[in-house]
Formats: sequence, structure tokens, C-alpha cells
Amino acid sequence: MAKLRIEDLKNIRESTRAAMSLRVEMPPLKGKPGVSDRASGKDLLICGGTGCHASGSLGVKKALIAELEKRGLSDAITVVETGCNGFCAMGPIMVVYPEGVIYMLVSPADIPELVEEHFVKGGMLQRLLYREPSTGVVIPIMQEIPFFALQELRVLRNRGLIDPEKIEEYIARDGYRGMAKALSEMAPAQIVKEVLDSGLRGRGGAGFPTGLKWQFAAASPGDVKYVICNADEGDPGAFMDRSVLEADPHAVLEGMVIAAMAIGAHQGYIYCRAEYPLAIHRLNIAIAQSKENGLLGKNILGTGFDFDLEIYQGAGAFVCGEETALMTSIEGKRGMPRPRPPFPAVAGLWQKPSILNNVETLANIGQIILRGGAWYAGVGTEKSKGTKVFALTGDVNNVGLVEVPMGTKLGAIIHDIGGGVPHGKKFKAAQLGGPSGGCIPIQHLNAPVDYETVAELGAIMGSGGLIVMNEEKCAVDMARFFMDFCRDESCGKCTPCREGTKRMLQILTNITEGKGREGDIELLEEMAVIIKNASLCGLGQTAPNPVLSTIRYFRKEYEDHIRKHHCAAAVCAALFKSPCQHTCPVEMDIPAYIALIRSGRLEDAYRVLLRNNPFPSVCGRVCDHKCQSNCRRGKTDEPLAIKFLKRFITDGAARPEITRALVTRKEKIAVIGAGPSGLTAARDLAVRGYTVTVFEELPEPGGMLRWAIPSYRLPRDILTDEINDVRALGVNIICDTRVGMDIPFARIEQEYDYVFLAPGAHKSQLMDIEGEDLPGVYGGVEFLRDFNLHEKDWLAGKKSLGAKVAVVGGGNSAIDAARLAVRLGADVTILYRRQRQDMPAAEEEITAAEEEGVNIQYLVAPLKIAQENGTVTGITCRRMKLGDFDQSGRKRPIPIEGSDFTLGVNSVIAAIGQTSDMGFIPRDSGITINKRDCFVLAADSLSRTTRARFYAGGDAVTGPDTVIGAIAAGHQAAGDIDEAIREANGEKPYEPPPEEKIDIPMTIDEETVESPQVRMPELHGADRKKSFKEVELGFTREEAVQEAMRCLRCDIEI
Amino acid sequence: MGNTVSLTMDGKAIEASEDQTILEAARENGIYIPTLCQYAGTTNVGACRVCLVEVEKARSLVASCCMPVSSGMVIRTDTKAVRDAQRMIVEFLWASGDHNCLACESNGACELQDLVYWLGIEKPRFPIEPPGYAVEKTNTMISRDLNKCILCGRCVRACNEIQVNEVLDFARRGYRAKVGPAFDADYINSECYFCGECVDACPVGAITFAQARFSGRPWELKKTRTTCTYCGVGCQMDINTHNGKIVKVTGNRNYGLPNQGSLCVKGKFAIDFVQHPDRLKTPLIRKNGILTEATWDEAYDLIARNFKTIKETHGPDSIAGLASARCTNEENYLFQKFMRAAIGTNNVDHCARL
Repeated sequence: MAKLRIEDLKNIRESTRAAMSLRVEMPPLKGKPGVSDRASGKDLLICGGTGCHASGSLGVKKALIAELEKRGLSDAITVVETGCNGFCAMGPIMVVYPEGVIYMLVSPADIPELVEEHFVKGGMLQRLLYREPSTGVVIPIMQEIPFFALQELRVLRNRGLIDPEKIEEYIARDGYRGMAKALSEMAPAQIVKEVLDSGLRGRGGAGFPTGLKWQFAAASPGDVKYVICNADEGDPGAFMDRSVLEADPHAVLEGMVIAAMAIGAHQGYIYCRAEYPLAIHRLNIAIAQSKENGLLGKNILGTGFDFDLEIYQGAGAFVCGEETALMTSIEGKRGMPRPRPPFPAVAGLWQKPSILNNVETLANIGQIILRGGAWYAGVGTEKSKGTKVFALTGDVNNVGLVEVPMGTKLGAIIHDIGGGVPHGKKFKAAQLGGPSGGCIPIQHLNAPVDYETVAELGAIMGSGGLIVMNEEKCAVDMARFFMDFCRDESCGKCTPCREGTKRMLQILTNITEGKGREGDIELLEEMAVIIKNASLCGLGQTAPNPVLSTIRYFRKEYEDHIRKHHCAAAVCAALFKSPCQHTCPVEMDIPAYIALIRSGRLEDAYRVLLRNNPFPSVCGRVCDHKCQSNCRRGKTDEPLAIKFLKRFITDGAARPEITRALVTRKEKIAVIGAGPSGLTAARDLAVRGYTVTVFEELPEPGGMLRWAIPSYRLPRDILTDEINDVRALGVNIICDTRVGMDIPFARIEQEYDYVFLAPGAHKSQLMDIEGEDLPGVYGGVEFLRDFNLHEKDWLAGKKSLGAKVAVVGGGNSAIDAARLAVRLGADVTILYRRQRQDMPAAEEEITAAEEEGVNIQYLVAPLKIAQENGTVTGITCRRMKLGDFDQSGRKRPIPIEGSDFTLGVNSVIAAIGQTSDMGFIPRDSGITINKRDCFVLAADSLSRTTRARFYAGGDAVTGPDTVIGAIAAGHQAAGDIDEAIREANGEKPYEPPPEEKIDIPMTIDEETVESPQVRMPELHGADRKKSFKEVELGFTREEAVQEAMRCLRCDIEI
Repeated sequence: MGNTVSLTMDGKAIEASEDQTILEAARENGIYIPTLCQYAGTTNVGACRVCLVEVEKARSLVASCCMPVSSGMVIRTDTKAVRDAQRMIVEFLWASGDHNCLACESNGACELQDLVYWLGIEKPRFPIEPPGYAVEKTNTMISRDLNKCILCGRCVRACNEIQVNEVLDFARRGYRAKVGPAFDADYINSECYFCGECVDACPVGAITFAQARFSGRPWELKKTRTTCTYCGVGCQMDINTHNGKIVKVTGNRNYGLPNQGSLCVKGKFAIDFVQHPDRLKTPLIRKNGILTEATWDEAYDLIARNFKTIKETHGPDSIAGLASARCTNEENYLFQKFMRAAIGTNNVDHCARL
């Protein structure tokens, strides 16, 4: 091709546009309506980015070409290999134009069917279309998928649309127009001004205004200057630059020529890491094409301006992304940073004035010059203009490249574009800026992502790596990971970075291995500040950021690692035997009892259960099984059904005999409240030889287990048996006795040495709406308790909810109340103000309610109770839409004005939360109660209240929580009370009797075959909806053994 | 000299040339800023970071060795932030190596040791973990114990920028970084010329004189200025003696020209001959076939007598003079003068032409 002149560009643009008209909706050309000569054909664009190459897109392309050939469709259908499409998680990706249908995860084997369905029959191959992860809705058109629809493409404007190896396709998309304008119409100072006006800031990380950098270099005297493109993208998880180079290499070249013109340079370098072979390949093609066409080299476009460039391949050192180290490396020396000043704009490469810009920065330049700085500054925030490309990776559904305006909310990037966290896990934090950055936790999902806000939150924009982490990631381990990276990548030149990263890593590693010491956190903080302050270059100055930011937001995790050797996410393997045991609040030896099931030794398994849980058959039914959330098996297919296996043991084995505990101690202890927390503490204290008396207001012990959880989930005899075991130890349980009413608080104070307060949370929170005090409006727990107290009256119809019932709320109590109402024959609607995935209730409970015919309306909130003559006739609600993210990371419901409606109901159950009834605690008792009606604990204790001798635990401390949480609190309090007594008496700490030896089999399967959880057999049909029979039927022996065999035995060390 | 600028350092108004660094200005004004990697005559690299100071309005602490002064700068060299950073950096260095002063050749002349004391560090807060390199004892001149190396890079710059021998550089990265010749070779198997510049540059006990090991502590040595006898350049140097015996030769940059403290392998290390039992200390005259000790007068008499006889018998051109490169220029000049004027011949030559 001959050397082009400016007017030639226009001709190429117009002729190529016509050829590309199927896939690219072009703005109509002047005087020429967008006529295509290929109206009947189709363009088929296959993603040829590195990601899709890796997942096999080249094979797909080959199969496609062969299939089209075979069917004689080759002429009508053009196959184009593009650069990265951006939706990397779904590769190989293929888009069909003009309709814009996107196919994902395409394999060569799919091609014949795809060609048949789409190109021969004219339909679509449904199974390869996009399916929304949360709703399952199929969206065939690419631009309608939220991942694409919510992006604003500027840097990535040509991605997936042009063949990066064809310069004319770039020209057709207005390519090199900005350069032509800059070279022919603008003075260098005008170019600099335009870039200054655009507000563009360096996209490599530091965010220095690009125009200012150019201005400095332009002002530096000298004939020899350099323009350098930094393509040494090295942050773990970042691949924006690679993608731009692969998809649109000419955009970078165009930016470099304009930069050269602006500062007066005639030579440039692209410093690209050698690990990017495809990017280098496409860059080489682009450079060759540009030179051939007179767009690089001497006399560019006939304007008399000369600029040439070459690629310098970096050997992979992270530090060479730092500008002075990069220049030193191009000079052929060891890539180490140099002190500044002198700044590169004055003395850079070979001591000549130089500018270094990142790939993404340069790719913006052509458009800025063509459309003007004001156009660019039209999006973004006050100080951060334009768009930013993020590499979205980690625990997010839509892994890929996204470009959004600066200032887009973090939550919008992660949830709306990114599709949220997979497998229903909870979002924990996003690491922004790679190893130099910091994490932004859940409470800041509303934060606009711009340079300033991100910095305030302790992260940095960096090059745009955005790593999403779910609740299964440990903050300390994450800091350790990034510090390990920085330690390895430190060049070693300056002491703080070289030695400091090593020492910080050492301390972090110690903490993750349970060898952390008091003072480590403070030392880390001191080191972090000094290393940031004292290091020579950006690497060391930012390396401590992940540590500082995780300490800032997750200090408690650090403390738990150091003090309790506890890793909440069950990541730091040196701290535990198995993740399930570590996650269980009472640390039940789960692998042991599962192994015993497998070998048929159920009695032994039962004894293992009772070691730390007095209520295993209760927990086998109603535990929220945190253990399963961290089960390693869940990483391959599904977690073990630990809860069901526990129940199987208690169903299948005889209860071990309980012998009365000997009273060996003189101290008397009162426990107030016979729920799981109080009874656990009573049991532990009785075992240690104390005389324990439990006071219970209601007629039977059990607390929430008896009075709130319906019997179809927890049969009463099961509960009674386990409570009787506590009695059998010698614990005296006095029912029907409310402290403060039936027995004065002062008497408890006088007669007992120590008191454990565990009254639970038996009072429903009010909705605070009109009509709430009407008969026919119940609190959730009050309704459940009333039913359990007067079951006969309810069943006989003496008490009734009426035909239609509304339940307000989304927690387990709401579901329990709804399912109970169903069993009383009512037509039940649950009203919940958020979405289903936001419901605090257990997923299996929600499903069960739906199966039983409960209607759930989401995004509605009650306004008032409608009534006629004092009788409930309905509930008026307002519909809600989703707004910003709240502190819990869920989208806040916002009322929609004018959307009010009234649901006709006969009664309303408000189950929106519970509090404790603290009326029995005298005001002058010295026991502090907070605003939420919970006991306040002493700062140095996990169970003592603000008054000595008085301890507290369970829901009355934490607010409504789980059974297992209450049991753990009971253990804690019993241990603390015992310790306090012995300490006061000057006795040695309690030594538990030697544990009964139970051999745990060490069977490990050589190979793991993928298999899902064994499903729990359930009662179905009318028998279930009309009765109070237990719904879950329990595993058979075969089912239990089959499930037990799925255990990976993480507890065994080989 | 550049223009003079006014600035404030530690509350004191001072003037400095604008091409000076903060460190240079401080030194000129009697303000002490510690350094380790800074080494006169080489590039200021800002590597060790112990010369940090606080500069008002700067984003972070500033390495005074490479920051030029500017007008109106307000500098503090002694704030808590500065001292805390210096202390931690020195702790890092201490803990990173085998800084066992008891058996160290540099004890008493160690810049790290001085800094530890100056900063009042009892012991580092980090476990002491030397890298565990073998001590290099494969040559008789330079001993290298990289377990004591603080990676300041002074030896590297001395080798590349002062002597321009280009033997030393850093290898490996980060905390694994290590100074040495190419391919991790020992000095003796490398291109090293054994000029010993690195030994003089080393601020700690990592690179030392092998011959001087256990031959005298720094404070016991007596330094005597002398001129090197090996060639006509006239390099100035210090002979270090202990109990009347030469222990080592060190360069002294204060002596200025001609060598600015640098020496070559001979001047630096070829000192054994001085105390060698075979060394000639008086002239010898062969009498009856046996070399016999004589006085200088006897020897000169004999030489004059014999030259005179030869010249009378065979003419002056029967005598030739060969001068030595170990003589000074002046001595060589006198020598040719002697040959031409006293002997009367132009047969004069010099060993350097052989």
C-alpha cells in the first residue's frame, strides 16, 4: 500500500464502513445514507483474545469455517476474529451480526448444531445463550445483557467489533482521525491543552494528569525526546492493557504519535512484557501496517512529522512497571528505580526528556483529540474524568473487562455489571489496585470509584485490577498473599522495601500460622507507615497498603488469629484440623463423627457429639450449619450434609446413659432462662461440681426451641429427651417462675454466688404502623408461643387466624409463622421489603414454605392495617424499588410513591425481629443494658456483664441468633464463671477429666468422584400441610453412609 | 557553582548552592545526617534510606543524599518520624545479616555499628536471620562474607564508576539480592583485577583484606602515609602497621592526586616483600664466586670503577642503560641524563618497552 495522505484516510474509512455495516452501527455519513451492499449476509465475530484463545476459540473458528464451507454459506457469512470481547468468564464467545446475538462457552462440537439452528433455520441455539445467574432468564442479545448494557465504552470502543489485524477496520471506526487532526491542524501547545481540558489522568495507577506530564516534557529543552508506552502490566488480576493491545493496537500507536507531536519526540518505545505474546504479535502487525501506510516513520500522512517506535520486551519484573525502572531497563541495565528528581520529563530515558504513559491512557488520546477534551470530561466526577477499565476477577459471576464512567458505584460494578458473588455467597471486600492497593469492604458498596474516594477508603485506583472476594476469604491471608508478591517483586535496591516487605510477610505468616503475638498488629502498622514513607519508589511506598487496609477494616480478624487462633473464613489451615470443625461455634469434631458413621460405630459417634454439644439431636434438625458453608467438598461439588448426618447419629444410636454429677463445690449458681444457652451453662457447671438452679418463666424449659420452633421441624419428644439429660445431671429447673415477679431479683442476688442471665429474645419488634394494636395482629414469636401454649384451642378452632393471613418479615421466625399458619388452614402471604436473596431465613426454609403454598411478595412494606369495626380486614402496603447499598451490602428498599395496595387479610403476623424483655433487671442493678435491649459485656470478658458475678449469653447479648451460637455462649459463660470462682479462691484452673478415648478410623479414598449431597427424604402432599409431623424424615443407614463417604477428611495430616 | 539559595534546616537559616543536595548542604553547615550507601565520587542512589529527612510539603520522607536543595525549603533532620524510620531501617539491616562484632575485622570501623550506637538501638525487633552464604576465601587478597553485606551498593559503584572495572553488580531480586561478579563467580574466577576498591568502599565487614585477618583491630593500627613504590605514578597510600609490621595498605581519598585514594592490585596487596626474609637489604658483591654483603660505598665504588674501565677499553656505546617502571619520572629523567652525560651513550631504554 502506498503512503497515505489525510484525504486517503477518509476514503478508506468510507469504503470499509460499508463492508462492516452489518456489525457496526455507524453514524450516517455525510450525504451518503448508511447503505450496505451486504444486506443479506451476516458477520460472525469470534473473540480472539488471550482468554478465549485459552478456552479454545481458535478451534471453534476452525470448525465454524469448515462447517460454513460444507454448507455453502461461506460467501454470505463472514467470520472475523476480534480482540477480547470482555466477557472472559464465558469464553469462547461468538457474536452474530446484524442481530447482535451472543453465544457463550462455545465448543467446536456445538458448531454443526449452531449453524443449523441459527444460520439455516434462522432461530437461535438456546443452550449457548446467556442466562442471568440469579434469575435464570435467557438474554440472547449482547447489548441487553447487563454486563454489556451498563458499560460505557471509550477505550474499549472497538473491542469485539474489529479485526485488530486489519488497519482499515480501525480506520473505519474513526481511527487515526485524531492523529490526522493533531498533525495537520494543531500546534503542540494546543494538543497539550486539549488533553489538559479532558481531565485525563494516568491510568497506570498514580493518576497524574496526563496533560501536565506532557506540558513538562514539552517545556524541557532538547532535540531528542522519547515517548514511551508502559505495557508492563503486572498486577495480579489485571489484564486491561493486554486486552487493549490485543483488541485495538492501533489506538495505542495513534496516541503515541499524538503524544510525540505534543512534546516534540521522534522516537518511541512500547515496553511490553514478554508474557504477552499475542499482544506483541498484534502490535508488530499494527506497527508494520502503520509504517507501510505512512502512519509511522518519516513524514507521517505527508505532514512532515517523523515518529518511529519499537517494542521493548520486558522480562517480567514487576518493578519495571515503575517509570524510572522501566527506562533503566530499556537502557539495558538492571531494572531498578532511580531517585526523582530529576523527573523523566527532564531527564528520562538516556537522560533525555521522556514521557511514559500507560496503554489505557494512550488509547484514550485519539478520541480526545478528535472529539475534544470537553467531550471526554463529559462523564466522570469532578476530579476524575472519563471512563476507567476494570479487570473484574475473583468471586464474581461475570469475570471480565468492564469500562465504566469514573465515579460509578463499586456495588454497581460488582453486582449489576459483575452479576454478584457466585453460589449465593456473601460479598466481603474488593481489592482495588492489586498488591499496591487496598480492599474496600461491604459497607462501602455505594462508594463512587474515582481517584479521591478510593484513596480515602485506603485503596488506590491502580491500573484497575478489581478482585472480588467473598466471605470465604481471610483478610490476614489476603494481606499475606499480596505481601508475598511484593516481597518477591521488590528489586532489593532500597532497605525499607527489600527488608520491610520480608519482615512484614514474616509477621503475617506467623499470624496465619497461629504464631502471632500481642503487639504484632501495632508493629505491622508502624512498619507499614515507615515503609510507605521511606521507600524509594512506588513499589515500596504502596506495598504495605493491603496490610493497612485489612487492619483498618478487619482488625478483629487479625485479633482472632492472634488471640484465639481462629480464622473465621477457615482459610489459614495451620490454625485448624478441618474447616468444618473450625467454623462450628462449639468446634464439634465433625470429621470424627462422620468417619464413625461410615464405619457403623454410631454409639461412639454419639459420644463424640456430646463432648461439646448437649443438644445434638436438636442441632441435627435446626442448626444453621455454618460448618457446611466452609466444607472443602463444596469447592468441587456440594458441601457435606453435616446437619443431616448429625441427626442420623442421634436417630440411629441409643442415647448414652447420663449419670448424676457429684456436687463437689460449695458455690451455688442461678441460671435465668431455660433456653439452649442457659441449659448448656447449667450442664457444664453441674459437670464441674456446682449446684445449679435454672429459673424459667414459661411452663416448660427449652426457650425458643420449644416456644418458637414448630414441632414439624423439631418434634417435642426429641427436645424433651435432651433437656432431661441436663436434669439427670442434677440441674434443678424451676418453671413457671419469672424472676422479678415470682421471685424477687434481690433474692437471686443474695442466695446465689453467681448468676447466668440467658433470657433470650422473646418479644417481637413493632412495625410501628397504624392498626398494629388491633386484635388479629400478632408478633411472630408471640403467635408461635401462643400456639405452643394453647395448641388444643388453636387446633379445635377456638382460636383462629382466619382464612387469609399476611406475615411480614423475611427471617426464620416469619417462615415458621407462615408455615404454621398454613397448617392451621390459612392462605398465607409473606410480605418482604427486599428481594429473596436478601432474606435472612435459611434457603431450605424459604423453599419449604413455597412448596407448602406460601405466597411470597417481595419488595413490599406495610403502611397500615386496614380495619372495620376493630376487625382486621387487610394490610395496606407500598411497593419498593431498590436503591443504594446499605451497610449490610444489600440494596436499600425505597418506597415507590403511588404504588400502595391493600391485601385483604383476616390477620397479620409481624415477624420483623425480636428483642429481649429486660423488665426483670432492676435499674439500679449495675447491669448495663444497651439501646437494643441487649446486655452489655465487660470489655475484658466474653460473658461477664458490667457487674461482677453476673454473666450473660445467648440472644439477650447478641440479639436474635442461632441455637449453636447460644450453646457456645453457654459454654463460654460456664467456663468464665468457673474460672472466676477458682481465681477468687486462689485455686488452680479447672482440669477436665481425661477424655474417653475413641479411635477415629483413618480411611481416605484415593479418588473423589463428583457427586452431589444426598437429598433429605421429606414428607410431601396433604400429609405435610395438614399435620405437625416432622417434615424431614431422616437419612436411612445407606443414605447416611453414602453421604459420609463424601467427606474428604481434611482433618487428617499425612 | 549554581546560584545560591536560602533555606531552613533544623530551624537554622542557611545558604547553599542550588546544585547541592540537602546532605551536602547539611554537612557544610555542621548538621549531621547519617548515611550508608552514599559514597563520594559515585552516583547518589538513595538506596539505604538512612539519610531521610523531613521536608515541609513533601509527600513522604526525603532521601537527603539525592534531593537537591531549593529556595525556601524547610528541612528537619531530627524529628521523631525521621528517627523512627532510621531506627527501623537500621534494625532491618542488623537483623538481615551476621553482624557479629566480636569477630568482625571491621569492629570499630563499621558504619552500621556506629549507626546502631548513635540511634541507641538495644537490639532489633526482628529475628536475626543471616542468609547463610559461604564466606569466600578462594583468593589470598580479598575476603568476602556476604552474610554481613547490607546491599548498600558502594562496592558496585566503586567497581563500576571509580575503577570502571565493571566486575561487580547486583544479582537476584529483593531480599535475595546479592552482590558479586557475573554468574555468581568468586572474585578469583571472575574478571576481577583485585584493585581492592571494593574493600575500601565497604562500610561494614563484608569485604575485607584477607591478609589482615586477625592481624590487628582498626584502632590498633597505625597509618603511615607513603608513596607506592611499584610505578612512577606516585600513588599516595596509607601503610597500616601493627607492632611494627605492615598489616594492609589502604587508599586515602584525602590525599587527593594523583590517585584520589584508588590503588591497583600491586600497591594494595603486593606488600609481602617488605617483610620477606629473602628481601635484599644491602648490596652484594661477588667475591671469589660468592655473593658477599657490602656497604653502599663499596658497591658504588665497584660500579664506577668497572664502568670507567669498560668505557675506556671499549668506548661508551659498549654500555647500555635499562630503566625501571618502578622509578619515578624524575628518577628516569636523571637516569637518561646520567647515561648520556656521564656515560656518553644514547643506549638508554626502559622496561616498559620490553
